[in-house]
Amino acid sequence: MTATTATSPGRTREPLRPARIGQTIMFVGLFTYFTLPMVAVFLYSIATRWTAHILPDGYTLDWWVSAFTDQAVIGAFGSTLVLATLTATLDILVVVPAAYWSRVRNPRIRTIVELSAAIPFALPYLVIGFGLLQFSGIVAPALQGTFPLLVLGHAAIAFPFLYWAVDGAMAAAGIERLSEAAETCGGSPAQIVRRVVLPNIKPGVVTGGLLAFATSFGEFAMVQTIARGVYTVPIWSAEAIRSYSGESGSFNRLAAVTMVNFVVLFALSAAVVYFNRGQTVRLLPGARSIEQREQG
Amino acid sequence: MSGVDLIGVTKVFGHVRALDDVNLQITSGEMVALLGPSGCGKTTLLRSVAGLERPTAGRILIGGRDVTSVPTRDRPIGMVFQSYALFPNLTVRQNIAFPLEVRHRPAAEVKARVDELLELVRLVPQADRYPNQVSGGQAQRCALGRALAPSPAVLLLDEPLSALDALVRTRLRDEIRRVQQLVKTTAIYVTHDQSEAMAIADRVAVMNHGKIEQVARPPELYESPATHFSATFVGSRNALELPVVSGRLVLGGAFDVPAPAGATDRAVAFFRPEDVEVTANGQGHPATLEVKIFLGSTTRLHLLTEVDGRQARFYADMPSRQALAYEPGAKLAVRIDPADVKTFALE
Repeated sequence: MTATTATSPGRTREPLRPARIGQTIMFVGLFTYFTLPMVAVFLYSIATRWTAHILPDGYTLDWWVSAFTDQAVIGAFGSTLVLATLTATLDILVVVPAAYWSRVRNPRIRTIVELSAAIPFALPYLVIGFGLLQFSGIVAPALQGTFPLLVLGHAAIAFPFLYWAVDGAMAAAGIERLSEAAETCGGSPAQIVRRVVLPNIKPGVVTGGLLAFATSFGEFAMVQTIARGVYTVPIWSAEAIRSYSGESGSFNRLAAVTMVNFVVLFALSAAVVYFNRGQTVRLLPGARSIEQREQG
Repeated sequence: MSGVDLIGVTKVFGHVRALDDVNLQITSGEMVALLGPSGCGKTTLLRSVAGLERPTAGRILIGGRDVTSVPTRDRPIGMVFQSYALFPNLTVRQNIAFPLEVRHRPAAEVKARVDELLELVRLVPQADRYPNQVSGGQAQRCALGRALAPSPAVLLLDEPLSALDALVRTRLRDEIRRVQQLVKTTAIYVTHDQSEAMAIADRVAVMNHGKIEQVARPPELYESPATHFSATFVGSRNALELPVVSGRLVLGGAFDVPAPAGATDRAVAFFRPEDVEVTANGQGHPATLEVKIFLGSTTRLHLLTEVDGRQARFYADMPSRQALAYEPGAKLAVRIDPADVKTFALE
C-alpha cells in the first residue's frame, strides 16, 4: 500500500503545482499585510522602549494599566458604547418596520428608502454632519451640539447596512408569502410580526444591528462636526495624537486603546460572518437584484 | 357546512380587467376547480375569496354571509399555497397548531386537534421536524393540515401540486380529495392542469380573460365543451378550420356536419383523437401516417391530410395492438361520427 502511494506520480507531484504555490504566496502576503500593522500596534502597547531594534527592548503592562485607569479613556469608551447601542437600537426600531411595510404593503416606498440608503456612500460624513447641523439649526436649535442629535446623525449614516441586511433576510425568507399565509391562518398583524416575521429575519436583524453598531463605534467626522462636547474613543485617539508633546508613554497608551478598539470591531465582524453563515455577500448593495435574477 | 357565492366579482388592476363580472355558486361540501391558462384570473379569484385581494366590484358570500369587506384573518377560510408557505421557524406540529393558537384556543384542545390532523394528513412520524427537513409532498400535506386546523368553511387551494414532481403529484391529488371528502369542507381548487382539475373536482369552472367560460361536471365538460376556448383547453382535441359550404362543414369523406350558428365564411371543427376511425382501405377521407407515438395501451397516429387545398395535421388514437398493422408512410382512410364533431364559429 505504502509503496503504491509513493510511486503514484500524481500524488507526489501535487503539492508542487504552480497554482497552489501562487495561492499560498498570495494568502500569506495578504495575511501579513493585514495583520502586521495590528501586531506592531500591539507590540508597541506593551513595549518599554522600541527605537533601536526590530523588536522592543523590553515588555510591560504599564501602558495598559495607565490607559484603562484614566477617567478620560473610560469615559470615552462609555459614551462610545452608549452612542453605538442607541444608534443600533434606533435603526432597528425604524428600519425593520419600514422594510416590512415596503415589502408587504407599499412597494412604492422602496425607491425612497433605497435612495436614502445610497446617500451615506455618495456624500462624505463631514458634509452630512454639516448639513444636519444647518438643518437642526432651522427646525430644532435646542438639539444643536447635543448627544441626541449625534444619535440621529449616526442612525442616518448607519441605517443602510441594517436595511440591506434586513431586506435581504426578508427576501430569503419570502416574508410576503409567509405573511399572507399567516393572515389566512387568522393571525393579527401583531401576532404575524412577533411569531412569523421576526423569528425568520433574526439573523438579518442581528447582523444589521452589529454593522450599525460598528459604524457608529468607529465614526469620527460626524462626532467632530455635530457634537463637539461628546468625547468618544476616536475623538480621544485623535486628541492623543494632536496634543503629543514628547511625554513618555502617551503613544503607547494610544496603541493600547487602538488595540481594544480593533478587537471590538473585529469581534463584531466575526459575529456578522457567523450569523450569516457564509452569505455575507447578501449585505452588499445590489445583492438583492442578483438573487432575484438567480431565482427567476 | 356552507357554500360560496360569487356575485358579479370584478377586479381591475390599472387598465387590466383581471376579473370581469364573475358569477359562481358553490354548494356546501363541493369541490370546484378553477381551470385556465396563466393570467386568466383564477388565482385572483381565489385570492379575492381569501381576502388577499379586494374586488373592485361585486360581492363574495361565504355561508350566506357577505365577507366582501371582512379582513382575511376574520374569514372562515383555510388556504394552501403553491410554494407551501410553511413557517420555517416552526415544526410540522407547531405549523398546524398556529391557526388555533392565534385564536387563543385552550392548550389541551389545540393538542387534541393537532394530533387528529397529523393523523388525517399522515404526518405523525414527521410531527417534530422542521419544514426544511421534510419532502415537498410532506410539506404540502402539512400545509393542508394547517389550512384545515380551524375547521374552515372553505378550503382554498392555489395550484398546490405545481411544485411537486409527477409521481408525488397524482398521489397527493388523491390524498387532498380523500381528506376534503372526509371532512366534508367546501373547496376551491386552482389549477392550469386540465387532467388534475377533472380528476379532483365535482365541477370545473373554465376561465379565460377574467371570465368563467363554462362550469360543468368533468364528464360533461369533456364530452360537450360549451365554448371554443373550453374545447381547445380541455381534453386533447383536434381542431380543423374548414370553409362553410352551403351551411355545412365537410371534411371529404370523413364527416359532414351542419355549420355552427353565426358562421358564414369559416368555422372550426373539434374532434377527439379516440373518435377518429382509421382503416387501411375503407371508406373515408385519405390521410397519410407520419409518425406513430406509443403511449402504452394506446398509440397515437399523427396523420397528414389535405383540407381545402392546404395541408393539415391531426391525431388519431387507437389500441396499440391494432396500430401494429400500420407503418409511417401508409395511406389510410379516416372517418369521424358526426355526433362526435363539435363546431364553433371562428372568434
